[in-house]
Amino acid sequence: MPDSVQPSQGSSKPFPFITKPVAPEDEAALRESLKRCSPSTFEAAIQFRKTGNPEHLPAVVIGVIERFVEPDLRTKLKDADDDLRLIEDLGIDSLTMMEIVILVEDVLQMSINNDELRNLRTVGDVKTFIDCKVRGLPLPKPTKFLPIEHIAATMPIQPPFLFLNEASVSSNGANAKYKISGQEFFLQGHFKDNPVMPASIMLEALGQLAVLFLLEGLTPEPGKAVNPQMIFFTGCEGVRAHRVCRPGDILTLSIKPKRMKMPLATFEGAIRVGQEKAVIAEEITLTFGFMEVPAQPVTENGTAQAGAPSNGEPGAAPLRVAASA
Amino acid sequence: MPRVFITGIGFITSIGNDAATVAASLREMRHGMELYPPFQKPEVPVKVAAPVKGFQMDSNDPEDWSFPARYTIKREILRGMAPHGVYAWCAMQQAIEDAKLTEADWSNPQTGLYAASGGSPQLMGYMLNRMHTQGVMRCSPLGIVASISGTVNFNLVAHFRIRGSSCGFSSACASSSHALGYAFDDLVLGRQQRMFVVGAEDGNVDSILPFAGMRALSLQKDPALASRPFDAARDGFVGTGGGVVLVLETEDEVARRGVKPYCEVAGWGQASDGHNVAISHPEGLGLQAAIELALRSSRLAPEEVDYVNAHATSTPIGDVSELRAMKKIFRTPAARPAISSTKALTGHGLSLAGAMESAFCALAIREGFMPGSAHITRPDPECEGLNIIRSTLPAQPHVVLNNSSGFGGANVSLVFRRAG
Repeated sequence: MPDSVQPSQGSSKPFPFITKPVAPEDEAALRESLKRCSPSTFEAAIQFRKTGNPEHLPAVVIGVIERFVEPDLRTKLKDADDDLRLIEDLGIDSLTMMEIVILVEDVLQMSINNDELRNLRTVGDVKTFIDCKVRGLPLPKPTKFLPIEHIAATMPIQPPFLFLNEASVSSNGANAKYKISGQEFFLQGHFKDNPVMPASIMLEALGQLAVLFLLEGLTPEPGKAVNPQMIFFTGCEGVRAHRVCRPGDILTLSIKPKRMKMPLATFEGAIRVGQEKAVIAEEITLTFGFMEVPAQPVTENGTAQAGAPSNGEPGAAPLRVAASA
Repeated sequence: MPRVFITGIGFITSIGNDAATVAASLREMRHGMELYPPFQKPEVPVKVAAPVKGFQMDSNDPEDWSFPARYTIKREILRGMAPHGVYAWCAMQQAIEDAKLTEADWSNPQTGLYAASGGSPQLMGYMLNRMHTQGVMRCSPLGIVASISGTVNFNLVAHFRIRGSSCGFSSACASSSHALGYAFDDLVLGRQQRMFVVGAEDGNVDSILPFAGMRALSLQKDPALASRPFDAARDGFVGTGGGVVLVLETEDEVARRGVKPYCEVAGWGQASDGHNVAISHPEGLGLQAAIELALRSSRLAPEEVDYVNAHATSTPIGDVSELRAMKKIFRTPAARPAISSTKALTGHGLSLAGAMESAFCALAIREGFMPGSAHITRPDPECEGLNIIRSTLPAQPHVVLNNSSGFGGANVSLVFRRAG
């Protein structure tokens, strides 16, 4: 890690503000580079140049991506869902990705290797990636996309009480979608002739996503794994329901870990329908425990040590980051 | 041996951006020259060029370009294109509409595309400068695709989903005539049923002015006098750009689709001077051989030729070379075809020239006229014995010859014949 770069202590602690002037010709060059981006992109970039404060990065990154997205798809970015996929949702191909990289390199004065790009699938991945680069932190594990088959195979919770259709899990949180089909058994009685998704079930869905994060997003120490049979709900705080959700609504769920201290894991969670807030939970806390996992099989050439973690130290780093956040 | 017909044409040229305008310009001998603004500097002795109108393509950034509203090209397509890629793209649209083709007709293994352009010196220069000043990894990812020779075929083949034969031809000013000749061969040999033939050039500062160094450009300040092939006072060519696309189809395809062709491609020939890298053979040796081969392959005699669209670019040496070649072909009193160089109107389109002038020949045959050779006040004495027409003849030519000559002494002669 370069000495000059301070590791992040999280958003609660202020970034050390050291303002350095930007030469007029550099400012002009920056303005030229960003001439097809929104004015706010340039503002964020110049603020980043002056202060080095990574809080300005998301606006720069979103502004640069937006500039390369076909105009009719840009509205998707306006609502900046970190789960938005670059290829599938925004139509960005690998060449456009290179254009984005070149402009980001130019604007943020950094260089990005080809192999660092391979795992960037979502807008959130790109933001996290750039943030880690600037702060000099190790790069996070790539976001995993889990279809319903994978979710059902992983989770201790099963249909008809599983409220996740698809999910993505990264080292700093998880996102999922659930469509209220109208066939859910409890809607027959909740309410009479007026099916409304119970708020308690929506809280349950957020809890399920937190369970999925514990099972898929953590990298415990070697020889250990989170035991799916030892995860239980312990409490929640600051829960508010903002919107009535009915059959046909697609719930967009997201959770982020706030604290991790064995045996408790505390998350913040939110559910949206489109851009409307549906449910907020300031804290959802689960208990969890580890189980022993069989030692890694020795590879054919016999060089791997028994019990060595499959993804080693660098892979474990994001957990520490998340745990200290 | 299947016969081959031209069934569609598209034009982005200095004398018009559609077939009707181009035909009117040719018939009325309206030229496309102007005092080209980027040349109006004391240090540039060349003043006249024949730019394409209705397009603004000066910037190195494709997102700054503008073109007529009837064409829409997405950014992701534009970013890999040179200015002449856009001209060719627009001409392709026209040719497809003109030939009444559907995507199923052109996107299949039996339909190919041959193209020619000199690449984009401007974008190449910009990219290399950026590489040297800002670093190797800051080159635009599509800078090469947009600038090297071949950019036209790369772009059109990919974006129009061409699945048959495709490649680019590089014989300078004979390139797109070679493209047409080999497209004809592919159709005759049964390898393809339909071929697009494309010629295109940027026609801007960086593609034209380097010819000043070899003293090939006219230094005339009067746009109406700068390009005057066969005139005794000619002093060089006038640069132009644009894009022209022709659709060639076999007779079976013409019958199946029930379309009315412009004309038949009767045959072609090529031969080389073996003389000089940049100067035509003084006696037109290679061109003469190319014409002889073209007529033989078409089973036609010199006496049957009604009109020749000459290569004549308005350079002192080149025009004489072609005149001498033609005098050896058209020797008998019965062989007196009308001869003109439409470069007096369009300027010289380099790799574009062969396809552009072939399309002019197709228009002339279908619409029944032979365009005059403009701007001649005092014919070169070498014209003696040949019928250089100084005004448009309102008569339909049955057999037409189109000559092209390129660097290295490459010569191509194409033969077109009235359909039916």
